[in-house]
Amino acid sequence: MSNKRKDERTGAWLVAPAMMWLALFALAPLVFLVTVSFWTATMFGLSPGFSLQSYAALAGDTIYILVLANTLKIAVITTALSLFASYPVALFLASLKGHRKTLFVILLFLPFWTSYVVRTFVWMPILGRSGLINSTLMSLGVIDSPIDGLIFNEGAVYVGLVYVYTLYMTLPIYLALDKLDPALIEASNDLGASAWQTFRRIILPLTLPAVWSGCTMVFLLCCGAFVTPRLLGGPSSQMFGNIISSQFLDAGNWPLGAALSVVLMLVVLASLYLASRRFGMQRLFMGQH
Amino acid sequence: MLGSQHKPMALWLRLYAGAFFGFLYLPIAVLVVLSFNNSAVIGFPLRGFTLGWYQQVFSDSNFFTALLKSFGVGMVSSVIATGLALMAALGLRKRFRGQQWVVPVMLMPIIIPGIVSGALLLVFFGIAGVPYGLWTGALVAHVTWVLPFAFLTLYPRLSAFDQALEEAAMDLGANPWVVFQRIVFPLIRPAVIATVLFSFTLSFDEFVRTLFVIGAERTTPVYLWVLIVEQTAPFLPAAGVIIMLISVAVAALGFWVSARSSQVTDQSASARSR
Repeated sequence: MSNKRKDERTGAWLVAPAMMWLALFALAPLVFLVTVSFWTATMFGLSPGFSLQSYAALAGDTIYILVLANTLKIAVITTALSLFASYPVALFLASLKGHRKTLFVILLFLPFWTSYVVRTFVWMPILGRSGLINSTLMSLGVIDSPIDGLIFNEGAVYVGLVYVYTLYMTLPIYLALDKLDPALIEASNDLGASAWQTFRRIILPLTLPAVWSGCTMVFLLCCGAFVTPRLLGGPSSQMFGNIISSQFLDAGNWPLGAALSVVLMLVVLASLYLASRRFGMQRLFMGQH
Repeated sequence: MLGSQHKPMALWLRLYAGAFFGFLYLPIAVLVVLSFNNSAVIGFPLRGFTLGWYQQVFSDSNFFTALLKSFGVGMVSSVIATGLALMAALGLRKRFRGQQWVVPVMLMPIIIPGIVSGALLLVFFGIAGVPYGLWTGALVAHVTWVLPFAFLTLYPRLSAFDQALEEAAMDLGANPWVVFQRIVFPLIRPAVIATVLFSFTLSFDEFVRTLFVIGAERTTPVYLWVLIVEQTAPFLPAAGVIIMLISVAVAALGFWVSARSSQVTDQSASARSR
């Protein structure tokens, strides 16, 4: 009995430093941010109190709602694109064996271990006026002058977002496929099912939790995107993250920035709640066990 | 697993995978090619080979300062985050009240969008009167961001660890600290080193959170960002290649240590089953 109590004390003590760090530097600032969203910004700085001014400004100006709607649309489309791009690659990786499998998994990982900013920037000399695509098309004689429509628009944002986030989709699906019992697939084949039927009836349902987990991750990351739309998007394809950053870094209106952040957090929490209702929060982040 | 029975599908899959890996690596190839391109415009057509951009990067003292700052904050934050994560993972193997809250709290920094995390700390430090900078805001932002990943890397390793070894040592009269030092840590050391290395790469590449709280200082990603946004410098591709090489080298080291550590774990597992 006393041993159990000692165990309990050790466990709590060991967990305490990390929990205190997060309480101080994640939870407390979050509470703080919500509080500041009810303050007002004056010429002389912040004025504490309780005011709905920022939320009223947010609801009163259609630009915020339009950008939020556009951000959600971009996040949904990017998630779908990543899913369709990733699933076949996960199938491919799971079908490999031995050293080739290791090699391709490493090849998949490597780009994602490098700078997000660099990986976004790199699309500028590909899609830009003097970029790879324009210069190739011109030297082939397909076009006479560079096309401007390749960059600084929503299409370029999709390319950039899929490029930087698709691993978060590929990885969970690959891990789930890799864990599938081959006997299930053999049985399905032996019973005369076509490849498509096996996929549709066996493989897909068993990997659905992983698909869901990947979709959630990519969707959340896209909701907070800031670098990609700033570098590759045009004026009409700026996302919610860009509005938030401009309130803090350019306009200096902290209460409005805080209110916008609260809205983004609510969107994120609502989608997490919806996603975890089906599969559970831990499974969403730690794979399916 | 799949493959062999369905030849046409396997071919189709291989073609598709080729295209996908092309999509992943073409931009990197472009970056490498442009870093050697003798043209003040970052783009095509190619105008001959030069090492000039690399020379410029290496003689750019701002780049060097930023690199040093990234290394400094990366090393310190990865060690702090791994330490906190290791303690938490060890603690979670015991039963205690409130245990079910540990993982959800741990995941908070992943769930909060980067832009909001940056804003949170900007407001928090601003109102608390703590000056922004590398060793204040940025360090805190990096530890907070890296902590959940360090935890998610270490936790599975530790929860798979056989507690009978420790119990045996305890029964023989060793105190918990000796047990940790002599038995637990030697077995998990490779996993801990790999976690420090992975954490370092996460910190080294962190950008959005840092931008909000670093004040006038610059880490490498922040410096590159300023160059991209304010004055496109022709040596950007060369700087990008150097940054990528550093991240890849550290990550590769991490994978190597981690592969060795799973071998060790496998061995101890098979020793146990015998």
